[in-house]
Amino acid sequence: MTAPGAAPDVVFEDVSKFYGEVLGVNKVTLHIPAGITSLVGPNGSGKTTLMNLMTGLIHPDRGAIAVRGLSPRDPESLMRITGYATQFDSAPRWATGMDFVATGLALYGYNRAESRELAWKALEQVSLTDAADRKVAGYSKGMRQRVRLAQAIAHDPPVLVLDEPLNGLDPLVRAETIDLFRHYAAQGRHVILSSHVLQEVDVISDQVILIANGMIVAEGEIRNVRDEMVEHPSQFIIRCRDASRIASLLFNESHVTEIRMNDDRLGLLVMTRDREEFSRALTRVAVAGHVIDGVIPADENVDALYEYLIGGRS
Amino acid sequence: MTKFRMRQAWTIARLEMHRAFLSKRAFWVYLLAILPAVIFIGHGIEMKVRESRYHGRGVTPAEVVDSFTKGENVEDVLKRAPKPVEDHEWSYRRPRDDEGDEGEGAKKPRVSERIEGRSLTYFDGQRRVNVNFENGVLIRQHSQNMKNFEEDRTVFAGVFQYFYLRLAIFFGCLGIFMNLFRGEMLDKTLHYWFLAPARREVLLLGKYLAGLVAATVIFTSGALLGFGAMLWPYSGAEMQAFWSGAGPAHMFWYAAAAALGCVGYGSVFLAAGLLLRNPIIPAAVLLVWESINGFLPDLLQKLSILHYLQSMCPVAAPIESDTPALLKLLLSPAAPTSRGFAVLGLLAVTMLVLWVASSAVRRIEINYGTE
Repeated sequence: MTAPGAAPDVVFEDVSKFYGEVLGVNKVTLHIPAGITSLVGPNGSGKTTLMNLMTGLIHPDRGAIAVRGLSPRDPESLMRITGYATQFDSAPRWATGMDFVATGLALYGYNRAESRELAWKALEQVSLTDAADRKVAGYSKGMRQRVRLAQAIAHDPPVLVLDEPLNGLDPLVRAETIDLFRHYAAQGRHVILSSHVLQEVDVISDQVILIANGMIVAEGEIRNVRDEMVEHPSQFIIRCRDASRIASLLFNESHVTEIRMNDDRLGLLVMTRDREEFSRALTRVAVAGHVIDGVIPADENVDALYEYLIGGRS
Repeated sequence: MTKFRMRQAWTIARLEMHRAFLSKRAFWVYLLAILPAVIFIGHGIEMKVRESRYHGRGVTPAEVVDSFTKGENVEDVLKRAPKPVEDHEWSYRRPRDDEGDEGEGAKKPRVSERIEGRSLTYFDGQRRVNVNFENGVLIRQHSQNMKNFEEDRTVFAGVFQYFYLRLAIFFGCLGIFMNLFRGEMLDKTLHYWFLAPARREVLLLGKYLAGLVAATVIFTSGALLGFGAMLWPYSGAEMQAFWSGAGPAHMFWYAAAAALGCVGYGSVFLAAGLLLRNPIIPAAVLLVWESINGFLPDLLQKLSILHYLQSMCPVAAPIESDTPALLKLLLSPAAPTSRGFAVLGLLAVTMLVLWVASSAVRRIEINYGTE
């Protein structure tokens, strides 16, 4: 549901897509608000299918899609507000980085000078101005990734769809790119990206959509999604000096299902079915005089969620 | 269509022309386009070289050449016309006329006589006259203009209709127009167009314009180059008469037929590139369809591009009398239609095909994995 005054959501209503006999996505209903949303799932789970559907590269067999109220079947309107960096690692052989980005802008109605100016700005944002006059065909994988990102952002769209945008980027550029996404999200734009690298999604996403075998397994903010998983124990890491004593105290609690001792005997991994009871138990332990250096939720990350929901790491 | 969309279509066309003109896949298109010109330039050079050689060897006045009569001796001919441009002698054996079945069942040994043959060729400045002798007696003579404009025009009509329209433009457009969408599918770059803020129909129009400009420039130039090469050896009064008479119209209609061939075949192959993966299938189907056009009912004949193109051609293509009957039927154009109707008919067929293509391009999806 879109909040009053906020940008309309990206909406999937009961969308199914089949490639012949093969399922792409099945009965997907989603409301994606502005901010950074990550589609997470293993290869072949349907992430790219969802992105291609919302940008009109493919059409649903059933259901309806709206991107901020616009139909993907209307590229003339949709692509003015949307930029899509696909995973297809191809570019016209003749194109330099500058040509590649500026050429697309010509179709927005910009003249040559305006197109080149906007292209230069976009290349600056992805730190690729040094290679602007080199042929894209000669770029490294990371540079090709960045030039596709530059093309997607060049017309300053409020909706960015990015398929595995951090693949092949070195750590410095990766950090810069994540900052760019955050900057866009802070402006109220949609940044919808896909990834199978769960750790990076965990760090950057406002919300996640977990997808497996073409179906949405969970969606929402990572913590909320985790809270919904009542049937799975929560995990906490406790850093403490008196690990074996604390372990014996906690083991008496009925909600604790498993405790593992760290090799250095200065920490515990505790699994509990009831986070609130666990919190109260920890307070009791502390009041009893045991020193607890820190408590960290070990599974409020996409990796853990994914393991729970899908039954394996991607 | 709004002005902005028209501008978008032209922008797409401009960007795509590079691919249409310079694609390595379509390099052979240029060879097809210039082949008639190469043939006629070769023919012209051969005529000019021979004429100059004959001039060097001597010109015999026309009245002398025309005075040769059957039964005359070679010595008498050479006395009156001592400078043949070519003189060949040979001998061979031939069964005698009196040989026959005289005895019953008895086989007689074959009797033959030795024949001394000689051929003298004279040149009177215009004509080449071959005079043949057997055993020194003139038995036959044959004269032929060194340059035969009417014949060359007919040959050009044949080359234009049987080769240029049916094959060169046909396969040239196949190479150029099929590549516009299918080539991008293979290169995995089509999605860049689909992610532009342009209607799919505008993209189709832009790509069609790009292919059309490329094909029309290549094949109209090729047709005009061939036409010029056919005329090149001729000069003087003959050319003056031609250019002040039917010449400009002939040139215009050959160019128009080539250009409209690109319009028609281009639309078909553009649509085929959207609907089918294998270009051989539409090419074969269309080639057969165009070939059997003459056998079809009137209404279906009008769904042929070649039918309209042939109706525009200014000179009927020759069909040799000894051409096999089936081939003659396949080569014969269906009853021609008027030029105005031919142009309108062809444009109507093109619009129909482009309408089909525009509905196909709206449905097309990016799925490179299956290409």
